[in-house]
Amino acid sequence: MASNNNATDVLVRSHSEKTLLQASDETLVTQVARGSSAALEVLYDRYAATVLGISVRIIGDQALAEDILQETFWRVWQNAGNYQSQLGSFTSWLFRIARNLAIDAYRRRNVRPQAVVSSEEGDPILDRTPDPDMDVAEQAQAILTHRQVRRALATLPDVQREVIEMAYFYGMTRQEIAEATGEALGTIHTRARLALQKLRGELERDEFEG
Amino acid sequence: MSLKDNMDPRIEELLPFYALDALTQDERELVESYLAQHPEARAQLQELQAGAAALPHGVAPVEPPRHVKEALMARVNSDAELRAPATVRAPRQPARRALRFEDIFRVLSLGAAAAAIVWAFVLNAQVARLRSEISALNERVATQSQSLEQLINSLPRDNVVTVSLKGTEAQPNAEGQLIADPKDQSAVLVITGLPPLEPGRTYQVWLIDGGVPVSAGLLTVDENGQGVFVVDSDKAIGSFKALGISIEPEGGSSEPTGEIVVLSDL
Repeated sequence: MASNNNATDVLVRSHSEKTLLQASDETLVTQVARGSSAALEVLYDRYAATVLGISVRIIGDQALAEDILQETFWRVWQNAGNYQSQLGSFTSWLFRIARNLAIDAYRRRNVRPQAVVSSEEGDPILDRTPDPDMDVAEQAQAILTHRQVRRALATLPDVQREVIEMAYFYGMTRQEIAEATGEALGTIHTRARLALQKLRGELERDEFEG
Repeated sequence: MSLKDNMDPRIEELLPFYALDALTQDERELVESYLAQHPEARAQLQELQAGAAALPHGVAPVEPPRHVKEALMARVNSDAELRAPATVRAPRQPARRALRFEDIFRVLSLGAAAAAIVWAFVLNAQVARLRSEISALNERVATQSQSLEQLINSLPRDNVVTVSLKGTEAQPNAEGQLIADPKDQSAVLVITGLPPLEPGRTYQVWLIDGGVPVSAGLLTVDENGQGVFVVDSDKAIGSFKALGISIEPEGGSSEPTGEIVVLSDL
């Protein structure tokens, strides 16, 4: 009897795990709101590397960025019930939480940010060790998505890319960007609009589905 | 006259920064109030948000160390227990009567017999559990292969190709795929069936164009023998004739010196 029960438990667990691994982000976040820590774990495995990448990019400090990573998913656990899919994708919501936490931490520390216009050189993706819990296809997808966006960003003029990166990654206001770059406010407005429009166009052309 | 021409110029200036979430509180409220009444502005915002939403994906992912996940899940599971309704405590066992001295040997004999029976059950259960776990692992591998296949099938057909990679006699279980645009200088290598190496040794990926093999970097696999690796080269991937993986000393070698575990034509 005991062995049958154990076998059944394992099979049920295996089936549930498979279902979770194939579930959409929106389904998983609904389950997190109902108290499923397993669903949170799947979301973590899918997006932790991107969230940590964002935090490292903003703060430039790996240890602090790891704290931000943990806090981001803790907030997902606590506030999953507040997520509204009609207002945007789960990843937009998740990355916004991470970005805002990282910008707050950066401002509290008042340290210098990393170079705004980053380079492929020293790209940590090249040195990373695969997480054994992360689905291989998801790792490949994350890498391909990253490459697609990098290619699209590379088509933007530096001055345009700089404006949207200052705004997005460092939360700088229009006025702060104008001051930092020494350009007129109107120029900053134009650059931000053109950059976002061109980025969208390039990604559409590349059939981006991120 | 386009819809854009009708938009309040101030809102038009603010909209890209709203999409980038970089407005002050007052500015944000102003834009949201305008958006609530102007559907054409909402349509334009969606276009700008499509560009802004891609920005986080442009950041290089950084693999987090395991302790971060362990700490998070410990915190979450502890919280989940607090949220769960209190379980009913099992009633306390009534105090047993004291054993008489003459019962001791009988009790010990019965205890030994019972222990043997329980042990047999435990062993039986463990065998069944291990069999089920193997079955579950096989199912997981099948699921991952299926999702990888779906991913590959979803890639644009006009410029991306996938090349199957096979293990050599030294490692016949190894297999993988190279996903690449032949004109691009980088590609994604997905490999399975390569056992983790002992400390001091590493897998090294080589691109071969007929001359001396060129190192494409060091490959790490997980405990299940799987790895994902970005192959980078200073020439188009399509210009190479073959790809190989060898076992090298830690830090890699300038040319292959160890056992070749994967070798396939491109």
